[in-house]
Amino acid sequence: MNIELPPLVALLLFPGGLFLLSAGTVYEWADRKLVARFQNRIGPRWFQPVADVVKLLAKEEIVPDGVNPVLFHGLPVVALVGTLTAALYVPMAGIAPSYSFTGDLIVTLYLLSLMTLSMGLAGANTLDRFSLIGATRALTQLFSYEAPFLMALLGPAIAAGSWQISQVDAYAQGHWWLVLTQPVGFLVALVGLMGKLELPPFDSPEAETEIVAGPMTEYSGRGWALFRIGRDVELLVGLTLMAAFYLGGLANPIEFMLKTGGLLLVTAALQSLFCRLRIDQTVGMWWRIGILLALAQLFLLVFMR
Amino acid sequence: MDTQQEPRKTFVVPIGPQHPALKEPGHFEITVDGEIVTAATVRLGYVHRGIEKGVEQRNWAQAMYMLERICGICSHVHATAYALGVEALAGVQAPPRAQAIRVLVAELERVHSHLLWLGVAAHEGGFDTLFMYSWRDREMIMDVLEGLTGNRVNYSCNVLGGVKFDVDDTQADAIRRAVDFLEPRTHHYLKVVTTDETLIGRTRNVGKMTFLEAETLGTVGPTARASGVPRDIRVDSPYAAYPDFPVKTITATAGDLEAKFVVRIQELFESYRVIREILDKLPAGDLAVRVKPRVPPGETVSRVEAPRGELFYFLKSAGGPNPDRVKVRTPSLCNWGSVLATAPGHKLADVPMLIAGIDPCFSCNDRLVTVRRRSTAETWTWAKLRQYGIEYYR
Amino acid sequence: MDLEQTVVAAETLLKPFTVGAPSREVSRIDVVIRRADLPAAVKALVDARWGYLAAITGLDHPWPKPKPGAKPAEPPAEPVGPIEDRLEALYQFVNGALVATLRVSVTYHDARVPSICSIIPSATLYERELHEMFGIIVEGTPDTGRLLLPDDWPDHTYPLRKSFKGLNRAV
Repeated sequence: MNIELPPLVALLLFPGGLFLLSAGTVYEWADRKLVARFQNRIGPRWFQPVADVVKLLAKEEIVPDGVNPVLFHGLPVVALVGTLTAALYVPMAGIAPSYSFTGDLIVTLYLLSLMTLSMGLAGANTLDRFSLIGATRALTQLFSYEAPFLMALLGPAIAAGSWQISQVDAYAQGHWWLVLTQPVGFLVALVGLMGKLELPPFDSPEAETEIVAGPMTEYSGRGWALFRIGRDVELLVGLTLMAAFYLGGLANPIEFMLKTGGLLLVTAALQSLFCRLRIDQTVGMWWRIGILLALAQLFLLVFMR
Repeated sequence: MDTQQEPRKTFVVPIGPQHPALKEPGHFEITVDGEIVTAATVRLGYVHRGIEKGVEQRNWAQAMYMLERICGICSHVHATAYALGVEALAGVQAPPRAQAIRVLVAELERVHSHLLWLGVAAHEGGFDTLFMYSWRDREMIMDVLEGLTGNRVNYSCNVLGGVKFDVDDTQADAIRRAVDFLEPRTHHYLKVVTTDETLIGRTRNVGKMTFLEAETLGTVGPTARASGVPRDIRVDSPYAAYPDFPVKTITATAGDLEAKFVVRIQELFESYRVIREILDKLPAGDLAVRVKPRVPPGETVSRVEAPRGELFYFLKSAGGPNPDRVKVRTPSLCNWGSVLATAPGHKLADVPMLIAGIDPCFSCNDRLVTVRRRSTAETWTWAKLRQYGIEYYR
Repeated sequence: MDLEQTVVAAETLLKPFTVGAPSREVSRIDVVIRRADLPAAVKALVDARWGYLAAITGLDHPWPKPKPGAKPAEPPAEPVGPIEDRLEALYQFVNGALVATLRVSVTYHDARVPSICSIIPSATLYERELHEMFGIIVEGTPDTGRLLLPDDWPDHTYPLRKSFKGLNRAV
């Protein structure tokens, strides 16, 4: 579907801005609810993520001693801005991307990494020991999944012969679902997305039983709310990207909902199936297995062309 | 970072007194080098309530209710240890039916405690699904105990010289149903902890303790049995009805966290068996005998096997209406040494699981201080915080 | 090893240190030993791998204060130590069903016992508890920081002594 939207609308209402924020909270709710049901719990009601965010935004923000206040307030904004911007380059809601240029895939991936980078810096900015350890873990994890994740997304791009998200999407719509022809890449990308979002079992950067809330320990009010929204949007963007690349593209809003919903179901199941990996186990898994699988797939694709 | 300016350049991660990994307050200082733990120290006493001193001011019967409140999870074993000790001092013996009911409640409590531990340990490892499922199943036992005693915790089943209530057929059927439901579930959990790759990655060869270490560190209960040390008071020195309903000592050899999982889960099967056996062969007779309010002078040691290991009571009577001295040595205290000894060399991520591995019970360790004083510093901080809040929103 | 053999083994091991005759019950054997012999006695048990240390119990035996006008109390039939305020530390070892207790008496003004941590490292927690609750100084225990009592607890105030009736009066 291709709709021409005035730039201001695209930025503030749809697909950027308001739509992203609300859809992000809906996806967070769906994720939490699914995990809860898998774990035999009731789970939150539909408005819980919105209520959380509203509450956090209304709360007093305590700036701890010894932090750089500019960074402390600025990093959550950077994180959110990064993910919101990234959303403009993906076929959000099955509508063609608002902005598109050659090589926007790489830009989008870097914009998504801004989130983790900001969290790591935010943790390192405070003097709290839990934050410091959490920041170290978050950045360590970033360096382990980022390369395989990027390579896994390059698979469909190479198949489509373009590094432009809209063109890969169009290619995927016209061919077999790439999850069938490139199953290894799909797997690596899916697990990479979970690592990116620090979902269990890759939640050691914020393992609550060890380091409380990791890098976010000192964030209380607005900053924490912004990080949370940022992560919701990142989840949405990540799922969209995955569906567009591997699940036969996103032609219309119905397809978007079904495909991203299906992916969410899979990630929720994976989240409840495993025990948290230690940070050394995470790194080991990515560099011993993840990167090799992604490389093998990449070489195969390059030679087959 | 002020800790980095110290000459030794240690980075200390404080765990506790308030920390999500700890369900009760304790304080650990974990010195780390990157992710690797280099030293660990413990500071207890945050829930010390002065119970040992308190019982000296109460009479023999009142003391039991106070001692029962040492621990919310294994309250029944505390009361049983005390009641058995007082009965030994007074030279009476509870009737066989009462002893059997004591053992029945003790084994139900063991099931509830081990399932609780399974959930907590899984949660510390970030495996919340197992946590939720085992706690859901634990509710069965909680319901049974509530139906039997009227309480979910602090069952208050003992009196000096016997027990308070009988077990009728409806209650027996409810217990049988719960056990029948739990047994296949427990088999499933055993399969999960021995086959789930991610869980094994967190438990196998973690916190390994050899037979010799476990023995010299003086560990007790499942912690010792996981290293192959066959210490089980129910077998070594059978009390109450255990001579009539013998249990088998479950041991493992590996001594790591996985072995602790396996030992505890296999003990559940043993408990199910004993529970069924007691229900089938409950001896007839009275529920209690009379114990005089004044206990003859003397000293005695009373030991029972709590879910966490050997519970040791030393009772001294001076012939009066009050106990002269009650010493409680809970199993958690014995097992701390094993955590502090095994922690160095492990990853920081393993520490919560190591701590959880011994199934610590801080309330059991700490038993003092009835005096409450408001710290002046605390008051000042609160006022300052409040003032700050008022000015912020002005 | 049955109970009788265990008892004989313990008696033999502790014989060189025993003061007077050991007292015996069905599953208990109590021996009184001198303070200086404590590490040697513990070492004898540990070297023979006789059981394990289950607890260290403190006891307070304040000497009954004569009421004004009344005559002083009679000395006990079997005096264990000097006739004055005494503290007693009970080192309870467990082997199977048997509990062997090493009893060490000290006076209030000389309340010191040697540490057994070099023989049983895990005993330090019990020793620290003994120190905090009864004021028996354990000489040579590795860490003497507060274990159970609050950090702002007054020094030389030992809550499990009979004379302790609450903090406000004790301060």
